[in-house]
Amino acid sequence: MGKRSSRDITRRGFIKGTGAASLILFIGGVPLLISACGEKKETIKIGLSTPSTGAAAEKGQVLEHGNKDAIKYINEEKGGVGGYKIELVWMDNGYNAAAMVNNVNKFMDSRCVTFGCSSSAMMAAGMSVANQNGFSGLAVYGAPVIYRPPQHIYGQLPDYGDDFVVFAQYYKNHLWDGQGKPTVVMHLLNNSTGYGAYDGARAKAAEMGIELLEPVFEHTASTTSETTSLNSIRSLDPDILYIASTPKPSSVIIKNANELGMTGGRMKIACGHAGMTKALVDLAGADVSEGVYGLFPTVNWDDNVPGMAKVKEYCQRYHPADFGNMDYIASWCQSLIMVKAAELAIEAIGYESLSKGNQGAWKNFEDYGIKALNNYDVEGLQGPVSYTPGDNRLSKSLRVFQVQGGNINPVTDWIEAPVIEYEKLDWFGKI
Amino acid sequence: MHLPAGIRNFTYAEDMAIFRTRTQWVLLILLFVLLFTIPLFMGNYWLSIIIIIAITIIAALGLNLLTGYCGQLSIGHAGFIAVGAYTSAILTGQYEVPFLLGMLGGGLMAGLTGLLFGLPSLRVKGFYLAITTIAAQFIIMWVISQWGTMTGGFVGLTVPAAEILGFSFTSSTSKYYLVMTICVIAVFVAKNLARTRPGRAFVAIRDNDLAAQVMGINLFRYKLLAFFTGCFFAGIAGSLLAHCYYGFLNPEFFSIKESILYVGMIIIGGLGMTLGPIFGVVFIRLLERLLSLELVPFLESTITVFPSGWASGVTPMLFGLIIVLFLIIEPRGLAHRWNKFKNSYRLWPFSY
Repeated sequence: MGKRSSRDITRRGFIKGTGAASLILFIGGVPLLISACGEKKETIKIGLSTPSTGAAAEKGQVLEHGNKDAIKYINEEKGGVGGYKIELVWMDNGYNAAAMVNNVNKFMDSRCVTFGCSSSAMMAAGMSVANQNGFSGLAVYGAPVIYRPPQHIYGQLPDYGDDFVVFAQYYKNHLWDGQGKPTVVMHLLNNSTGYGAYDGARAKAAEMGIELLEPVFEHTASTTSETTSLNSIRSLDPDILYIASTPKPSSVIIKNANELGMTGGRMKIACGHAGMTKALVDLAGADVSEGVYGLFPTVNWDDNVPGMAKVKEYCQRYHPADFGNMDYIASWCQSLIMVKAAELAIEAIGYESLSKGNQGAWKNFEDYGIKALNNYDVEGLQGPVSYTPGDNRLSKSLRVFQVQGGNINPVTDWIEAPVIEYEKLDWFGKI
Repeated sequence: MHLPAGIRNFTYAEDMAIFRTRTQWVLLILLFVLLFTIPLFMGNYWLSIIIIIAITIIAALGLNLLTGYCGQLSIGHAGFIAVGAYTSAILTGQYEVPFLLGMLGGGLMAGLTGLLFGLPSLRVKGFYLAITTIAAQFIIMWVISQWGTMTGGFVGLTVPAAEILGFSFTSSTSKYYLVMTICVIAVFVAKNLARTRPGRAFVAIRDNDLAAQVMGINLFRYKLLAFFTGCFFAGIAGSLLAHCYYGFLNPEFFSIKESILYVGMIIIGGLGMTLGPIFGVVFIRLLERLLSLELVPFLESTITVFPSGWASGVTPMLFGLIIVLFLIIEPRGLAHRWNKFKNSYRLWPFSY
């Protein structure tokens, strides 16, 4: 074997040199590659995140389907918005806060003009990043802490605090026939879904002549029995048991209450709109949930409104298992509202300004799209949507429903929830 | 440490050096250059992933000191992270303490909490200590959620952005630099802590606490020191999570699942090595994103015979399967595999 000269490349030298060259190419070449990549044109990008896996999957998947089907309807039958197709950037957050923050950053990087989120807890996780960057978002379900003080997150529907206020109003006017003040006990999901309703109760109960009994009871999303807490509630003998939760834990509470003989009597059970869906009736059983009241901010499936035909058509075609679930309608409406805002923005400032998907585009979308919404009827599927300065809830109307014969039927017309300036209350969100 | 052929140590300083050869120094400098030029070519999304990885590394380093070096199993790490997060948020939000002091305050409070819950380690060990730390997780989160007037309870707590000398860290790039700087410092501290007298005491306690005591190591002092140090790191990570990642705190962000995930990270990465938590965290966080962002949409769009949404359940299933397979194939962790690779590279073509 010949003697190796100092000029010969050794194996290690070769590997070192290759590694160094690769690193330099990577650092220098990646920006070039990224800038060279073309992007799809002629679309408006909208970001959407749903908890399609994890603790809230039973709601998240239905919400995902409603969103996607509505976008499909807009693209296929209406040709998109202003002649431009809607490109949906959908990401599952898995009901995980860290994933939600990543998702919001992904939406911003993907040049979405706005984003939507179904879950109040997940919107709470992602709203800080969105607010810091001026990136507007639309929450299907929200708690007061998401909208107060008003920044860049908007509520498609009234928040959980509004649910309580509207039900309390309905109860006093139509169901209460006693003397003095009706008493209410709250059973809350241990997150902003539950405590958002508590905020509304604390803010308005006394003013409405309702006595809020303490303590409030809370449960987790994975609870399997609330018999202990319900026994305590039974000893308090309230007029109203208000459950602010998602369908699965709500159904557990209602079933346990039924087992303890607390249903069908003087005490009324009411659910906030996070729980008042077909899934609740399916999980609890039609007999057990008979007579349960609830709030919901959209129409139900039997309402004869202009948009219902398409909702039914697409649901039965693509997701028949979701038929009858009002979450599907809620997320369908969310897509319609975001598209309407995009339409208004395109009419006002043109496609080019929005397509950049940068901070300027986000501001334009918010100023000329969301804030331009004025009495948009959402094809009759929910209360009218309007932006009011100082109030980021785009719709303030709710209806009271009741489970009757296994169906969720409305018992009132639209009731408007008042604005509550929570940030002026010394106990709200302060430490 | 194995050294390349022809390299010898002639002084104690050379023998103790972490970076001994010119190649190692060059690679280290290149790594720093890469780390600090990343924002030039990565968008908000990847920066946010790297930020959460860096914050998780800080927390995992603390857990590795406690569990990997000292052998005190802790399955309540997310609780200690929460203590640091809320303490820092309250100090900066209500008392207008500067961010750096608030962060240190968060670390100290988490460390003191770790001291408190580390007291049982003097009487119990192994699985019994693990149960104690699980109890710590639940107790801490219960206190946080019930102490609504201070922590905001389940409604949540808005956290001000990190601010140093009037500069507010609100953009992804600025947050990245802040978090990465603290992460590098944390790795440096953890590496050197393991080489000090307390670090050697931790290892002695882990290997045989009775023998360590016989040798004169004060178990009481060093076990509590391990808990304090590990939880201090967790508190620092919590503060960064609050100010530089979420911007809003809710008890749901610090669940028992997170605590178990941290234990999984240090096991997969390699216990008892500073590099272990780094590998473990990067592997787990990237795997999470790969499965949920790439695999699920691919499966949904490719296999349409099943009902829509079927692939969402694949993520947790595959995640668990990969972790189990990994533990079977390489139970000593990624860092051990990396060390084996380096040694074989140095010794090639010889096998030893």
